[in-house]
Amino acid sequence: MASQSPDTGDKPKLQFVPFASALDAGFWHQLTQKKLNEYRLDESAKPIKGYYYNGDPAGLPTRLTLEFSAFDMSAPTPARCCPALGSLYNTNTLDSFKKFDKKALLDQAANEIWEAIKSGAALENPVLLNKFLLLTFADLKKYHFYYWFCFPALCLSDGIELIKPPVSLGEKFSKTQVIEFQKAYDSFCQAEGGAPHPYFLIGNSGDSFSMAPLQKLEEFYTEKDKVTLGVYDPCTLAQYPGWPLRNVLVLAALHWGSRVQSIEVLCLRDRTLQGERDIKHSISFEIKLPQVAQSQACPKAVGWEKNQKGGMGPRMVNLSECMDPKRLAESSVDLNLKLMRWRLVPTLDLEKVISTKCLLLGAGTLGCNVARTLMGWGVRHVTFVDNAKISYSNPVRQPLYEFEDCLGGGKSKALAAAEKLQRIFPGVTAKGFNMSIPMPGHPVNFSEETMDQAAKEVENLEALVAEHDVVFLLMDTRESRWLPTVIAASQKKLVINAALGFDTFVVMRHGLKKGKQEEANDSHSGVPGSSDLLGSSLFSNIPGYKLGCYFCNDVVAPGDSTRDRTLDQQCTVSRPGLSMIAGALAVELMVSVLQHPEGGYAVASSSDDRMNEPPTSLGLVPHQVLVKVCNVLPVSLAFDKCTACSLKVIDQYEKDGFQFLAKVFNSSHSFLEDLTGLTLLHQETQAAEGYSGNMNV
Amino acid sequence: MDSESRNNMILGEEKFRYFCLEFLKHSQDIGDDWEWKNVQGEEEGYLSKTCYQTRVTKSDDGKKHEQEDEILSTITLEGDHEVEDDDNCVLPQGSLQSEVINYEYHVLYSISYQAPVLYFRASFLDGTPLTLDAIWAKVHDSYKPRLLHGPWETITQQEHPILGQPFFVLHPCRTNEFMSSIQGSASREGNYITSWLSTVGPVVGLSLPLSYGRTV
Repeated sequence: MASQSPDTGDKPKLQFVPFASALDAGFWHQLTQKKLNEYRLDESAKPIKGYYYNGDPAGLPTRLTLEFSAFDMSAPTPARCCPALGSLYNTNTLDSFKKFDKKALLDQAANEIWEAIKSGAALENPVLLNKFLLLTFADLKKYHFYYWFCFPALCLSDGIELIKPPVSLGEKFSKTQVIEFQKAYDSFCQAEGGAPHPYFLIGNSGDSFSMAPLQKLEEFYTEKDKVTLGVYDPCTLAQYPGWPLRNVLVLAALHWGSRVQSIEVLCLRDRTLQGERDIKHSISFEIKLPQVAQSQACPKAVGWEKNQKGGMGPRMVNLSECMDPKRLAESSVDLNLKLMRWRLVPTLDLEKVISTKCLLLGAGTLGCNVARTLMGWGVRHVTFVDNAKISYSNPVRQPLYEFEDCLGGGKSKALAAAEKLQRIFPGVTAKGFNMSIPMPGHPVNFSEETMDQAAKEVENLEALVAEHDVVFLLMDTRESRWLPTVIAASQKKLVINAALGFDTFVVMRHGLKKGKQEEANDSHSGVPGSSDLLGSSLFSNIPGYKLGCYFCNDVVAPGDSTRDRTLDQQCTVSRPGLSMIAGALAVELMVSVLQHPEGGYAVASSSDDRMNEPPTSLGLVPHQVLVKVCNVLPVSLAFDKCTACSLKVIDQYEKDGFQFLAKVFNSSHSFLEDLTGLTLLHQETQAAEGYSGNMNV
Repeated sequence: MDSESRNNMILGEEKFRYFCLEFLKHSQDIGDDWEWKNVQGEEEGYLSKTCYQTRVTKSDDGKKHEQEDEILSTITLEGDHEVEDDDNCVLPQGSLQSEVINYEYHVLYSISYQAPVLYFRASFLDGTPLTLDAIWAKVHDSYKPRLLHGPWETITQQEHPILGQPFFVLHPCRTNEFMSSIQGSASREGNYITSWLSTVGPVVGLSLPLSYGRTV
């Protein structure tokens, strides 16, 4: 309650609850726009607007709210709220934010309020009493906003003496009086335009009340001795008024001090809960008016808001999460993927997919398409290895490259691909290594230098495989897949392999070897070799560790496949759509494997398993998928009642053009069904069903 | 009438406006703080409501900004101009610290889905947004099981079509489907907005007083 300070006598003094600034996210967005498009380097004061509300439930702080409309001085104040006018000082640097003369700023604002009080301008327009200042610095690189609010209040040197302590309106008034007070207040607001008044005068005789604006004091009170000041009060505490009362008491002291010694204050709080309006928690008390003279200098002022720690200092808010486009892209990508989980595959473990580190060997047509599909799955870590440069024929088939990339001899594919991924989605960590992979049958022993070079390449590849979780083999020759197959098998990394023919392709996962120890135990218990396989059906239930690799079905070792071949055999010539299908399938296979609880050790699904319960939420986990472009070839006839291509529709369209289309747009789909005869067909079918149903009985 | 057209409860834009106006009328009657907002000069607008929730903070689950605190303390120390502390007329704030969360709900019309769409976001008083996880954490436990199976499980992030700021969105892809089971089941013509909001709202902490249901 009121404090008793020893140096100002024994009388209790009135204390006020300061405003707490409340800034919605929209305010910061709008400030950013203003800074970029309008203020730029201008640091001068800009008018802004906030509001406060007296209908809060108990427990909420006394807020002054600024939202996105704060910069629009003509924007309406939200219903049942009171406006507060402010000045925004947006500095260009953190340094000028720090060095801004805050005391001078406050003094200047205090002076304006003092002048408005002295001149009587504040009597006519009491909004002048509720000024605020806002000092900001917007760090738009980091989306950090520094700010410091000030709600200037003039201080009366000896404080304000309480004569009667606060009581609630419910205690003070009878039920009838409360209702009559509400009625009188509502009609007062209606008469003055509907908006609430920050300050008003209250007259009371018995059960009836009346209100008037501040400047009408002389006419309003006929008795000389009593003045009741109404305040629209945003505070919710039962014992204290909010900040807006402060400056108006200075005004009251100056203008009415000669007339009355004390005034009654009614802090109006007006809330509605579940449709029930209530003002009984408003508070009322009586104070002694202090001495204030026209001639005196502007009183001392306070009002800089304390920070969250309770000290005098600015605040800072970090909005990178909702303003940094990169962060937004990341959260949107993730949320979009989650939609899949919420709607279709509730048990999908996205984290497993997103956190998988993928090594793409080959950044050509397959590499590009695999990378794009990985990004679609939200994979954050993609590394390319390729030794080629982008040539003029590439961009049309390899979706990560553009014409410009081919100029001047062409950029390195691996580097350009990584750079492009980052541009498509900055949330990805993409790296490119411009290097060759040593191959069987491609000698490296021309010189010591070439030997060293090859040794280094092997070492690099070993390191890269070790750093990643999944290795994609996406090169254009068979023999280039050999070394990574060996290294990955040794390091027990999942390998996904995609290879294109002209109109066929194969996508497969390599068998994932067991540890040496486990393997030893395994061969101990059973007959060595593959006899246990022969016992069962040939290709069913093969566990992941027994699955073959790309080279398992060959009885010759890989050699130089580019020698002694015609051009179309040397480089992969394939139907252009193929790599997109194959690249996409390779990623989908990886994701399915990752979803299986046993990962790369999962038993291979075969075509026969299509009818069984799938092993993962995403269905089968095959060993290989072999596709010929024309795989499933269903044929269907044109339907004479088709809602799009039937003669009836085309005729109407050609005859009536847009008129017909407008009819379609504007009516329910029964219009098209009626037109084409579908409606009739439905009815006939239903009738027929009904008929056969009767037959059965 | 075929079964499909019965199952597909679409809401035209004019009907949307009409239901919104009716909804607003009742909101005004009971002081429920819904407003119709439109951007200057534009005809397009939306239903909007802002509300605050508060809870007492425990010292460890408030916002953690240690690094930022450090930056701020240097600012305060370097400040050339000592700012005067408050006088003794200010109520000391020590005991009043509580965490206040500002919830914003916007109802917009989606032309492509021909359905209302609920946009929402939540922030602390300084504008720091709550993550979706933090919002989930505040959803009442009794709604959580339904969240995973109901028609309203689809929350995503999108730019507010009018404000251009990121909001969370209850995806409207299944609105028509579940609304037809609500609106279509009984032959009564209720306020679409009321039935829809009372279904999807609680999921994100928005509840409607019962009296809305009695009005239309």
